[in-house]
Amino acid sequence: MVTPVEAAVESLRQISTEPPVWLVPKQELSQAVRAASKLLFASLKPHCTKSPFDELLIEGFDAEQIWQQIDLQSQPLLSSLRREVKKFEKHPEEISKLKVDVEGGKKKVLEEIETENVVVNDDDDEDDDIDMDEEDEDEEEEGEEKEKGREEESENEGEEKGGIEDKFLKIKELQEYLEEDEAREFGTNKKKRKAETKKHEEDTEDEEEEGDDEENEDDTDEAEEEEEDELGLFGGDDESDEDDLGNARYEDFFSRKKSKDSEDKAKYRDMLEEDSGSDDEHVDKKRKDGLSKHEKELDELRSKIEQMEKANLDPKVWTMRGEVTAAQRQKNSALEVDLDFEHNVRPAPVITEEVTASLEDLIKTRISEGLFDDVQKAPTLSSKAPREVKELDDNKSKKGLAEIYEEEFVQKTDPASAPLTFSDELKKEASMLFKKLCLKLDALSHFHFTPKPVVEDMSIQTNVPALAMEEIAPMAVSDAAMLAPEEVFSGKGDIKEEAEMTKADRKKRRANKKRKFKAKAAKRPRANTSVRNSDEGSKV
Amino acid sequence: MSIEASATMEIETVSSEPKPESNPLPPKPKFEPLKAHEMSDGRVQFRKVSVPPHRYSPLKKYWMDIYTPIYEHMKIDIRMNLKARKVELKTRQDTPDISNLQKCADFVQAFMLGFDVPDAIALLRLDELYVESFEIKDVKTLRGEHLSRAIGRLSGKGGKTKFAIENATKTRIVIADTKIHMLGSFANIKIARDSLCSLILGSPAGKVYSKLRQVSARLAERF
Repeated sequence: MVTPVEAAVESLRQISTEPPVWLVPKQELSQAVRAASKLLFASLKPHCTKSPFDELLIEGFDAEQIWQQIDLQSQPLLSSLRREVKKFEKHPEEISKLKVDVEGGKKKVLEEIETENVVVNDDDDEDDDIDMDEEDEDEEEEGEEKEKGREEESENEGEEKGGIEDKFLKIKELQEYLEEDEAREFGTNKKKRKAETKKHEEDTEDEEEEGDDEENEDDTDEAEEEEEDELGLFGGDDESDEDDLGNARYEDFFSRKKSKDSEDKAKYRDMLEEDSGSDDEHVDKKRKDGLSKHEKELDELRSKIEQMEKANLDPKVWTMRGEVTAAQRQKNSALEVDLDFEHNVRPAPVITEEVTASLEDLIKTRISEGLFDDVQKAPTLSSKAPREVKELDDNKSKKGLAEIYEEEFVQKTDPASAPLTFSDELKKEASMLFKKLCLKLDALSHFHFTPKPVVEDMSIQTNVPALAMEEIAPMAVSDAAMLAPEEVFSGKGDIKEEAEMTKADRKKRRANKKRKFKAKAAKRPRANTSVRNSDEGSKV
Repeated sequence: MSIEASATMEIETVSSEPKPESNPLPPKPKFEPLKAHEMSDGRVQFRKVSVPPHRYSPLKKYWMDIYTPIYEHMKIDIRMNLKARKVELKTRQDTPDISNLQKCADFVQAFMLGFDVPDAIALLRLDELYVESFEIKDVKTLRGEHLSRAIGRLSGKGGKTKFAIENATKTRIVIADTKIHMLGSFANIKIARDSLCSLILGSPAGKVYSKLRQVSARLAERF
């Protein structure tokens, strides 16, 4: 009976082994390779328990996608194989337990692989160099990388077993350490396993990160495993593997007690130090398995509560803290948070065409109207009337000193009759004109008409009290009578009252009166002279 | 006491009455003010004013202007003693007041100092006018060019500083080499003196002008 593997291999071989064929992409080549891959995939399927694919999906899939499918299947498979190899290495007697035909088949496959090694190795190397993205190469890689895994296994198998071990690195010691690590980390069910198998399983997870030597050993195991489907041991191992890895829940990795150790393990893994707390974890694992559902729920709740309490005790996140300055939070942390705050500034106006058009219209209207908002100077109110500033005259004064003092004296004693103190004739004239104008304006604007002001020239002064002749800008005039008594007096000589008169004075007065009357009568035109003469004659 | 008082009173009355014929108390004498010529026991009062050589020809020129107000108005005799180069003033019979003589003497003296006749006439007309003189060296000791410059500062260009002071303070100023004479009322003379002193001490004319302006404004406000 031809196994699917053999059939696949045969088909592959049939395709071609000539390198130049692969340079040009051909449809039939790709189809053949894909079919072969599918067969190989199917052959491996029984061994691989974790793969999500039942068969390799080829139609309509990209080379990359196909490769991913293969990878998904092969990776866990590889690890399990490694484990098996390790186990066999430790206990070589078990190999003998395997069935003979399996062994034969195994040997055959080994031989095949070794022959293929030489042929395809070169191509493999070439592929490695070429860019993976090219479609031309993808098909090649597809087929060849599947083989690559096996080639590597076989290669390494042969070479490196002896080459890595030296005085510092003992592989066996490494194995032991890894086993212990595995036990601690995963807490797999030990009851189901045998002690030896357990150790192997524990090793596998870590071994991926270790050097090539582990891989190599496991690879050999896996290679053997592939051929021997029917071995209960392997099947059992597979199952146990499944249990161990399938049952590994979140709690196994991230429970309270174990979390510390897993963190420590992360540190120590690279340094290859031995952990001390492995015993406790064995105990915890056993307890975990014995809890009821309710208890598990309670544990969950408890852990949640603890988490929340811890969060409460910790300092709050900066967003919950109230007023936070930039120094108190991380750099750029404000960018990640959706902040909402009031903008007190009016947003800058967006200048659109409409806005500019409106502005221009406004400007035009203003210009046409002439309505410029020019700043006008505020008119200053003069607080007091400007007084006449006497300028310094640096010419020789025309008046003598005596005249100056005379004027002063006169002004002091009799201000009315004092001459005006204007310096220039022109000024006098100007003031006169202005006074006339002011008078006219006042007459027009006031209800109470004011008379003409008294002008200081040869005008007739009437004996009217000054009050009646008030003007708006009063000069320094008193309210006494304008004329002095002697000016009013029209008589001459000594005036005597009736009481003062002596007899002689009275007589004199009468005589004067008579004389005047006679003079007047003589002047009158003489009408009726005859009558008059007779009268006068009788009188005498 | 009352008896004594009455007795005294009686005595007085008694004494006053029975003595009309005995020596009556002469009436209180009424002394009228002495006329000028009666003073000093009827001797004539006169003053003599010496004439400096530089005022000789101006005196000759203005003689009538001097003579007329003195002789006519003040009623003082005036004559020029050519030999002694003095102007002599003498009271007359009808000189009303002895101060006239002094006024005339001051007037002539002012003319001799250098004042013009119309200015000096003010002395005759007003009582309160005085003539004050001082020298530059009284203010500040200046020698040589400094002195000349000081004199120049005092008078100004074309005399305008001097005239400015005169007009502002209603005084008359005569700068005779290092002597300075001022004619005017007491307060005005003070102001003029301050201005002149500041000029001698070195302040520029502009400063003096500004001060004068203030002063004159204040003086004008007084009325």
